[in-house]
Amino acid sequence: MLDLLPQALSLIFTVEGLLVLTFGTMLGIVLGALPGIGSTVAVAMILPFTLTMSQAPAILLLLAIYAGSVYGGSISAILINTPGTPQSAATCFDGYPMALRGEAGKALGWATMASVVGGLASSVVLILAAPQLAAFALNFGPIETFALIVLGLTCIVSVSEGSLIKGLIAGVLGLFLSVVGGDPLTGEPRFTFGSFQLIAGFDLLAVVIGVFALSEVLLRASQRDEANVALIDFRGIVLPKLGEWRGRIGGLLKSVAIGNVIGIMPGTGAATAAFISYAEARRSAPTRANFGKGEPDGLIASESANNAVTGGALVPTLALGIPGDAITAVMLATLTLHGVTPGIRLMQDNPILIAAIFTGFFVVNLMLLPLGMLVSRVAAPLLRLREAYMLVVITLLCTLGVFFVRGNPFDLLVMAAAGVIGFVLRRQGYPMAPLVIGMVLGPTLEISLRQGLIITNGSFVQFFTHHPIAVALILAAAAMLLLPLVRAIRARQG
Amino acid sequence: MKKLKTSAIVAAGLALAIGGAAQAQDFPERPINLVVPFNAGGGTDLLIRGFAPHFAEALDGDVFVSNTAGGGGTIAAGALAGQRPDGYQLGYFSITVSTIQPQINDVPYGLDSWSPICSVAASPTVLFTSESSPYTSIEEAVEAIRAAPSTLLYGSSGPGAITHLTAVAAFKGLGVIDDVRHLPFQGSGPALQGIAAGTIQFFGDTEILMQGGGLRPLVVFNSERLASMRDVPTATEIGIEPPLNELYLWGGFFAPAGTPPEVVETLSNACGEAIASDGFQAFAEKTNTVLNYRNAADFDAFYRAQYKANGAIIEAAGL
Repeated sequence: MLDLLPQALSLIFTVEGLLVLTFGTMLGIVLGALPGIGSTVAVAMILPFTLTMSQAPAILLLLAIYAGSVYGGSISAILINTPGTPQSAATCFDGYPMALRGEAGKALGWATMASVVGGLASSVVLILAAPQLAAFALNFGPIETFALIVLGLTCIVSVSEGSLIKGLIAGVLGLFLSVVGGDPLTGEPRFTFGSFQLIAGFDLLAVVIGVFALSEVLLRASQRDEANVALIDFRGIVLPKLGEWRGRIGGLLKSVAIGNVIGIMPGTGAATAAFISYAEARRSAPTRANFGKGEPDGLIASESANNAVTGGALVPTLALGIPGDAITAVMLATLTLHGVTPGIRLMQDNPILIAAIFTGFFVVNLMLLPLGMLVSRVAAPLLRLREAYMLVVITLLCTLGVFFVRGNPFDLLVMAAAGVIGFVLRRQGYPMAPLVIGMVLGPTLEISLRQGLIITNGSFVQFFTHHPIAVALILAAAAMLLLPLVRAIRARQG
Repeated sequence: MKKLKTSAIVAAGLALAIGGAAQAQDFPERPINLVVPFNAGGGTDLLIRGFAPHFAEALDGDVFVSNTAGGGGTIAAGALAGQRPDGYQLGYFSITVSTIQPQINDVPYGLDSWSPICSVAASPTVLFTSESSPYTSIEEAVEAIRAAPSTLLYGSSGPGAITHLTAVAAFKGLGVIDDVRHLPFQGSGPALQGIAAGTIQFFGDTEILMQGGGLRPLVVFNSERLASMRDVPTATEIGIEPPLNELYLWGGFFAPAGTPPEVVETLSNACGEAIASDGFQAFAEKTNTVLNYRNAADFDAFYRAQYKANGAIIEAAGL
């Protein structure tokens, strides 16, 4: 791969290539920051514009939009507690409290640095080991996915603020919401009460935006005293000083590794990676006591992991020609349109183009830093609105975003209901993060479990006797659950 | 004053009458909405976005594309069925959305909810195995299935999808449906990963899939052998009987039932013109789309025959 670098660079460092990368990254950041327009929609929106371009710029534009949108989601998560994309949901946990404390600029600084490092590291992995990793990814079938999701569900424990029981109730509620709709294996409608609209289930984004953003609007509106001052004091990104990284590097590297590995695996994705990474940091970081109250380590965990996923997701896409999710599927469609046939021979047949994609991806991640600072500087004046106006703006953005994704008015009702229910539950002390984790992981949990049972002819025991990777993941999940208990018992004895 | 009012009413009535008469002749006077029943960015979305400008040119009017996703396309179809049949909203529905879903799910539309406008694309389906698998022909595969019942798996992109029905048509037609098991995935990508990893042995889809490599075609559900795979037998040749012997992934435009015949004709002709245009032909070649135009009358007959024929496959699939 490295020997092709000069040719790859000559494809990227053209006027068109650089323009496309700059413009694409900026647009990606803006689209990602707008609630509702996730990475998939952002990439799909741009696809028609690539038709007139030549091969390399077309795919570079999509890569720039992809990486930019994953990072952009953190801006709205931190500044208005509205995850621009579900993969930034975990960024809200510590980002928003920091912003409320008056450290919005610093919070975005940490998020930006973490995103850049996560993205860069994943592109290096992509350049060095894509074919080998893709071969490894094939070992990862439904049973291994099931075990990974079980590990992911243990996050619920660590993000349950205050009461573990209330957290578990919220988590189960999220899991329950995820089974509403057509049965993924038979197509039969479940829990739809005869409503045709519910056959498609609850849209994840409508629920996430409802329980995070809309319920926050309602909470703010119900505390009427401070409605005349600006909610968040934000004057642009403040990058962390070198000294402030002390003690955080280990956590950063761990999160990057988690994001990379999860990105390579099929059927999981950035939201899962962010949650697992956050939970792991919360379990092991020296600053864990401050998590949920505005701890930079929490931000680093979530943002470095979700950006590390982007490079990982490209591994099977480019090395095997098999897309792992909707975003990479759109990218492969773009390649087809430009006369490149995706498939197992993609890398052998188009080595220079693939090298250009890999290096272009590295450049995009470098550009996140200056362009992220620029975009948030432009967004800053918006946040100086008085709180009352700000709440109206947030509500409008949420409504537009949710409607835009599927064009289905029913999703607006779901968002409104989720907002009201989220508001009531939060006032009663139920955390909303477990609910979202349940909804994000629920569908994959169910499908992988049932697929696994079909493969083993109904034998759950075979999950443990024939699948060492799955066993390792289940043991990790057990450790996640038991270690805090052991620690608590020790503390009591000591 | 009163006189003025009367004449105003007369004028308004006259305008309405003229407007009504002009509607059929001057159709379209407003932009036409092409509804894609899936998210932006998918294969169907891409096809329709490529089609829209040529359709607009043929109609000499404005055309815009919108997306309503969910429920495997049924949410969009359910929303369109029963809308005002004025020809300004057309849905692009596949074989599954229009003929399979209404027979397996409780959706608010059925056989008679539509005025079919035109078909756009149709590709025959093919049953594949992995290139590294030991089965070099469909006969060997059937033998292996019989030798070890309930051990081999076929994958699909979801229950009721064309990928599911292709495998069902093959194994039901060959009498071994009870000896193979079905493993549904969420979409074709994960299913292809499954076949590469050896989790599943069989997968059915259109021939376009072959270009990705790594697959070996076993049987073609077409009326004749395909030029791209001369050695692969058709389903009829290996003894699969109608209606299971031919299966196409097709799609076309539907308007709500009751659309005026002259509007249907205008739309249908414009559709044919757009498909025949050099621009769209070039687009289809780039995207490996097999174009297949049928005008409104032919498409209506085809759609009704398919609705009936697919009932047999649905029954075989146990849906």
